[in-house]
Amino acid sequence: MLQNSVAGLLVPGILQALCLVLFAPLVAGIINKTKAVLQKRQGASILQEYFDLYKWWKKPVILTKYTGWIFVAAPVVYLTTSIIAAMMVPGLLTGSFSFGDAFVFVYVLALGRFFMTLSSMDAATAFGGMGGSREIYISVLVEPAVMLAVLVNATRYGSTTLSQMVIQYDQFFFTVPAVLSCAAFFLIMLAENSRLPVDNPDTHLELTMIHECMTLEYSGRLLAFIHLGSMIKLLVFLVMFGALYLPLPIPMALKVLAGTLIIGLVETLNNKMRLFKVRVYLSAAVILLAVAVIAQ
Amino acid sequence: MEPMKIELVKPSELPEAAKRLSAEGTHPLTAMFGRDERRDENVKGLSIYCVFENTGTHEMEALKAVFKEGVPYRFPTLTYVLPAAAWYEREIQDMFGIVPEGHPDPRPLVLHESFPEGFHPLLKDVAKNTEARGERRYDIHVAHGEGLFEVPVGPIHAGIIEPGHFRFSQAGEAMLQLDAKLFYTHRGLEKIMEGKTPFEALPIVERICGACSIANTWSFCQAVEQIAKTKIPRRAEIIRTLLSELERVTNHVGDLGNIPGGVGFNPAISLGGRTKEMLMRLQEAVAGNRFLRGIIVPGGVSMDITPELRAKIREVLAAAKKNIEDLSEMFADQSNFRNRVRTTGIVRKSTAADLAMVGVGARASGFLHDSRRDFSYGVYPELPFEPALEKDGDVAARIKIRIKEFHVSLRMIEKLLTLLDEEQEMTLSVELPSVKGEGFGISESARGSNFHYVALDGEGRIDRIFVRSASYANWPALPIAVQGDIIPDFPLINKSFELCYACIDR
Repeated sequence: MLQNSVAGLLVPGILQALCLVLFAPLVAGIINKTKAVLQKRQGASILQEYFDLYKWWKKPVILTKYTGWIFVAAPVVYLTTSIIAAMMVPGLLTGSFSFGDAFVFVYVLALGRFFMTLSSMDAATAFGGMGGSREIYISVLVEPAVMLAVLVNATRYGSTTLSQMVIQYDQFFFTVPAVLSCAAFFLIMLAENSRLPVDNPDTHLELTMIHECMTLEYSGRLLAFIHLGSMIKLLVFLVMFGALYLPLPIPMALKVLAGTLIIGLVETLNNKMRLFKVRVYLSAAVILLAVAVIAQ
Repeated sequence: MEPMKIELVKPSELPEAAKRLSAEGTHPLTAMFGRDERRDENVKGLSIYCVFENTGTHEMEALKAVFKEGVPYRFPTLTYVLPAAAWYEREIQDMFGIVPEGHPDPRPLVLHESFPEGFHPLLKDVAKNTEARGERRYDIHVAHGEGLFEVPVGPIHAGIIEPGHFRFSQAGEAMLQLDAKLFYTHRGLEKIMEGKTPFEALPIVERICGACSIANTWSFCQAVEQIAKTKIPRRAEIIRTLLSELERVTNHVGDLGNIPGGVGFNPAISLGGRTKEMLMRLQEAVAGNRFLRGIIVPGGVSMDITPELRAKIREVLAAAKKNIEDLSEMFADQSNFRNRVRTTGIVRKSTAADLAMVGVGARASGFLHDSRRDFSYGVYPELPFEPALEKDGDVAARIKIRIKEFHVSLRMIEKLLTLLDEEQEMTLSVELPSVKGEGFGISESARGSNFHYVALDGEGRIDRIFVRSASYANWPALPIAVQGDIIPDFPLINKSFELCYACIDR
C-alpha cells in the first residue's frame, strides 16, 4: 500500500518536473523574443537559452581559493529546490495532481534562495554581498504577500494542500477575490523571479542588480545550474499562477503562454523602480490580497 | 576672437591675482596648464598659465607665472581660492614637477602607481619614446567607520565602456563618498603633437575623443588661425557651425537614449539607439566617416556640403525630430521613470560655480555657461539662439536641457542650411602663413566648452598644445552629485552626465 502510494505520487511528479525542466528555457526564450519584437529589435532565437545552457555546460568552472563548499553546494541546492517545486506544483499533468502542502512549497523555494544568499557572501566580493542583502530585503517583503495569496485559496477550499487549492471554474469564475488575487499574484511573481520593475534581468550594470549580482562569481556548469534553476522557478510560478489564480477555463499551456507574453509586455512597458520603492509595490500586492480574503 | 591677454605674475602672487581675475568674469576658471620654455631665449624657464574667461568683454585673460632656472618649482595652491583648480594643479605636478604647495589632495592625477617617481613627461628633456615603468604611492580615498564598507568598481566594466575606477564608501545602500580614479589610458597626445605642424597634428586632434571631433578640431583650428592672424572664408564658418550643431544633435540623441539604460527602460533605449544610428549614418554621408573627421582643417574646411547633402540633412533631421518628440513623450508618460530621475544626482548651482562646470551639467544646475553665447564665434551671432537653463540640477534637469537644446540646434541647422543656400562665395579655405606665437580656441561641444591652447615655434611647429575638453571640467562634479543617493542610482547619475574618459586620457 505504502509503496504504491509513494510510487503513485513520485512517478507523475518526476514526469511533470521533467516536462517543466525541458520547457523552462523555451519559456525564457519566448519572453526575450517578445521583448525584442516589442522594442523593434530582431532578438535572439527562442531557443537561445538552450544554447547558452549548453555553452556553460561545456565551459570549465573557475573557483577562487577563497570560496568554501557552500559556493559549490548552493547552485546544486538551488536547482534541486526548483526541481522539487516543479514536482509539487499542481494542475499540470492531470489537472489536480500534486503532493505536498503550500507552506512546504513556499519554503522549499526559500531554502534555495537561502543557499544562494549564503554563497553570494562566500566569495566576499562587494557585489555579491550587495546582491545578497537586496535579495533578502525583497524576500522579506514577498513572504507575507505569498502567505496571504496561499490564504485566499486555503480559506476558499478549506485546505492548504496544493492539489486541493486548484481553482474550480464552476463555482469560482470572475468573482472579486479571484480577480484581486490573480492581479496580486502576478505582482508577486515578477518580484519573486527578479523581473522588471523590481529587478532587471538584462542589465550589465552590477550596481543596480539584485539576483544577477549573486551569480557574478559563477562560471561553467555551476552557472548553468543557477540559470536553469531560475528558469524552472519562473515556469513553476507561471503554472502555479495558471492553476491557482487565473480564473479562465483554458488549457494550461495557453495559460502559461499568456503569462509569458504578459511578462514580456510588462518588461517592455516598465522601467526599474527605485530599490526602496519595492516595498510600496509589494504593499500593493498585500492590500489586494487582504481585500480578496475579506471579500471571500 | 581677440588674442589672449597675458599678464605676468610671480608664482607667489598667483592666488591673489587669480582671485581678482576670477571675480571679474562669470566663469571662475577656464583652464590651468604648464609649459616648458627653458629653451626659449626670452623666457628660460617653466611657466604656468591660468586662463579666465571675461564674459563681459568676450575676451580670454591669462595669468602667466614663470619659474626661472634655479628657482624652486613651487607655488602656493589656488585650490582654496578656486576649487576648480584642484585637478589642473595635480596635472601640472605630474606633467612638469611644479608643486602646488598646500594642495588639499596632492595625489598624482594622471600618472598612477605604475609610473616612476620624478617622471614628468611634458618636460622637453623627456624623449617622446621614453618607456616609463616604476612604482609610486597612490592612495584611494575611503571612509572608515563601524559598519561602513567599500565597493570597488572598474577599471574594467561589464559594459563596453572606457576604463575608470570608482571606489564607493557605503553605509548600506547609501553612498557616503565616491573616489574616482581616472586617467587610466593616458595617451600622451599633447606630447606626441609637439614638433608636428598643425596639419600633421590634425588627425590626432580629431581622435582625441570619438564623440566630439568637430569641437576639438574647431578649437584647435581657431587657435592656429589666431596665431596666423588669418580670417577664414565665410562659407567655411557656416559649414563649421553647421557641423558643430550636427555633432551636438547626434550626441544629445545618443545621451537621451543612453540615460534610460540606467533604469532598464527598454523601449526608450531602443528608440534613442535607432535615432542615433540614423544620425551617425547621416554624418557618414556628410563626411565619409561616422565621426565627422577630415572636414575642418586649419584655414577653413576641406569639402563643401552640396545641395543634395543639404536636402538629406533636412530629411534625416525631420525624422529624428519626430523620434525625439516620441521619446520625450515616453519620458513624460512614464511615472516610474519620472520618479527615478527627479531629485536624483543633484548638483547645486553653488557647486557648479565652485567647480567651474561647463555645458549641459552647468546649465542643468542654473549656472549659465555657453561658449556660443560668450564668445560668439563661427556664425552664431546670426542664429536664433536661446540658451537652455534649468535650475533643479538633477538627472531630470539634465534630460530636459538636452531635449531643449536638441530642438534649438535643429532650428539653428535650418537657418544654417538657408545661409549656405544663399552664400555665393565658394572659397572653402585659405593658406595659413607659418608664424611663431600662441593662441587659443574655444568651442561649445555637446558636453560643454572645449578649450585649446596652441603655441607654435619659429618653424611653425607645435611647441605646446593643451586640450581641456568639457568632460575634464565636469568630472569632479560627479562624486558630489552622488552624495545622498543610493548606489543602484549611480549608473543613472553617471549616464546623465555622460562624461568622456578619452577626453581626459589625452
